[in-house]
Amino acid sequence: MKKITRRSFLAGLAAVSAAGVLAACGSSSSSTAASTAGSTAGSTAAEGGHKLTAYAWDASFNIPALNAAAADYKENVDPDFELEIIEQSQSSDVENAITLAASAGDYSTLPDIVLFQDHYIQKYVSDYPDAFVPVEGADIDWTGISEEKLSYSTIDGVHYGVPVDNGTVIFAYRTDLLEQAGYTIDDMTGISWADFIKVGQDVYNATGKYLLCMDGDGNDLIYMMLQAEDASQFKDGEPFITGNEPLRQVCEVIVEMVQKNVCYLANDWSGYINQVILGDMVAGVMNGNWIIPTICQVPENSGKWEITSLPTLAGGEGYASNGGSSLYITANCDNVDLAKEFLAYTFGGSTVTYDNALRDGGVITTVLACGESDVYNEGVEYFNNTPIYAQIVEMGGNVPIIEQSDYHYRARTYMAAAIINTINGANLDDELANAEQQIRFEMGL
Amino acid sequence: MKANHGTLMAKQRRAGWFYLLPGTLLITIMSFIPIINAVFTSLKTGSSANMKWAEPLFYNYTRMLKDQLFQRSMVNTFLYLIIEVPIMLILAMLLAQLLNNHDLRFKGFFRTCVFLPCATSLVSYSLIFKSLFATEGLVNTILVKIGILETNYNFLGNPTSAKIIIIIALIWRWTGYNMVFFLAGLQNIDYSVYEAAKIDGANGWQTFWKITVPLLRPTIVMTAIMSINGTLQLFDESVNLTNGGPANSTITMSHYIYNNSFGQGVANFGYASALSFIIFVMVAVLSFINMKVGDKRD
Repeated sequence: MKKITRRSFLAGLAAVSAAGVLAACGSSSSSTAASTAGSTAGSTAAEGGHKLTAYAWDASFNIPALNAAAADYKENVDPDFELEIIEQSQSSDVENAITLAASAGDYSTLPDIVLFQDHYIQKYVSDYPDAFVPVEGADIDWTGISEEKLSYSTIDGVHYGVPVDNGTVIFAYRTDLLEQAGYTIDDMTGISWADFIKVGQDVYNATGKYLLCMDGDGNDLIYMMLQAEDASQFKDGEPFITGNEPLRQVCEVIVEMVQKNVCYLANDWSGYINQVILGDMVAGVMNGNWIIPTICQVPENSGKWEITSLPTLAGGEGYASNGGSSLYITANCDNVDLAKEFLAYTFGGSTVTYDNALRDGGVITTVLACGESDVYNEGVEYFNNTPIYAQIVEMGGNVPIIEQSDYHYRARTYMAAAIINTINGANLDDELANAEQQIRFEMGL
Repeated sequence: MKANHGTLMAKQRRAGWFYLLPGTLLITIMSFIPIINAVFTSLKTGSSANMKWAEPLFYNYTRMLKDQLFQRSMVNTFLYLIIEVPIMLILAMLLAQLLNNHDLRFKGFFRTCVFLPCATSLVSYSLIFKSLFATEGLVNTILVKIGILETNYNFLGNPTSAKIIIIIALIWRWTGYNMVFFLAGLQNIDYSVYEAAKIDGANGWQTFWKITVPLLRPTIVMTAIMSINGTLQLFDESVNLTNGGPANSTITMSHYIYNNSFGQGVANFGYASALSFIIFVMVAVLSFINMKVGDKRD
């Protein structure tokens, strides 16, 4: 009796552990079974699939844009259409999900379409050629979209992404504070960085506010200021840091601005948003126009802001683009035709989609024709009733196309460190050489 | 009789193996196989989806010798280790000694207070320290109000002060944890030893160094190994408190490994695995030294 109990106990234990292993296998095999079933269902009845899933991350910005597109498609094309948006807490969550899925070689965890920042797609396509389905064959007039925007998502002539928002950089100024120091927004348009520093000092002395600010950890100033000079940190696929005169001057200007209280570098992104911009520490903000909804979160400053183009080293208006995003179809998409149709109809050039995306989320189009609608030409109360959206679309047309790299963000990290170290007393040339060496390391050069 | 005994032994042995089997299987699948795979991964390069054998085979390891950022992360980690671990262990021992006092009232309350930081999650305590020491944070406000500082100081924006904040945070978080081990160790020291010392005229300081510390040696060795191990793998504080900044001046080795595997789409798992192995070797060597130094048995 006793023996039997023990043996049965052992057998039970073995069974439990075996069941555990089986259950682990079972769950993966059942999920693949489910996904294959899904794909056959999708392909056998092309008109049967009406649902897409998507990753997006910003509830006040790009998620309203996707909702606007879904509503547009549902109303005008397919009444049964449904877009399930899986909200991510931040953009890096989307990027990590892609890296993880691609590293494991199992794309089944990804949704049908993903939204992520433009600088990543080049690296993803070269690292994981199978991860994304090109949007070739979709009914989109590519010539009607900003060329600079498409230069990110087009790889060897193949279109991988459909643009969502416009990353055109704006320089927003508090006109009331400029006035206190004796300047106007027109004085700031086409100014040189050297003169900008003088104005910045006057503004700081008169009002105690900084004329420029940035996240010192993810410092985008270098890239934006350099693009306004029509220069890049990369040349022929290699880092171009040392011996790059515009880059060196840009770095010098940034260091000087910080030392002279013209520019405030926050410790991190949340410091930049919460402490600096929402904390009303600044008289000027320069970043991709997606920063506008953040600026508008300080209601008492309504009507005091206006926007213009960037300063340049030699003077003259500068234009740049930073941090826009696009939608990409993943390898896990069961219904590629529907995804292409949806993207082509909506973000490919629907005025309805873009008007609502602008109204609900402040998302600005890169489709030139959609930027001419009435909504774009309305004055914006927060910005002293100037039609800033039409202004941004127009500025977007002037952004120079510069060499992009898979290693954009890595370069940004090392350059940000170089700037901080120089401010803390290191030699700029040593820091630049160091940054170049680190980037070359990472690129395997 | 003998045969019977033999079968019983054999049966027990078989049962023993059966009991071990599930655990062994799980640890093999979950730990050993991944570890062996990581050895191979550390010899490969390229993006995670199509990794190739490195050329030369030990490229990832030779790269480390020239990688200044890795070396900086190593210096940072050892700096934390050298400064934080001794302070923390001595503090934990003193606290344990205080709380082991038989005449102390509300002992349970004080013990809970000291241990409580360990109950907070690593991420949340890092974030709390981050907001405490922010430029507009509580610490700055207080220091300005009582006149120690003239203007708000950017604690986390200065390489030196950011390192100090991380060390303070670590001490706050882990002292109570180590104190519990010392308390348990102290329970094993007979109170009569202290009474004898008192009769001999030893003061508190002498008792601590001449009786408590020697008798606690096994506990000290264990806590030291655990602390060294934990500090070498320090990650949460570097990521959440400073994000390695300013300018990578507070980055730890584990944080650098993470950046190489998941940071900004890098996904260089080969190099990350190689770095992990170096940490593994360091932990093994340090623990070995520690055991040799701490073990005074003949």
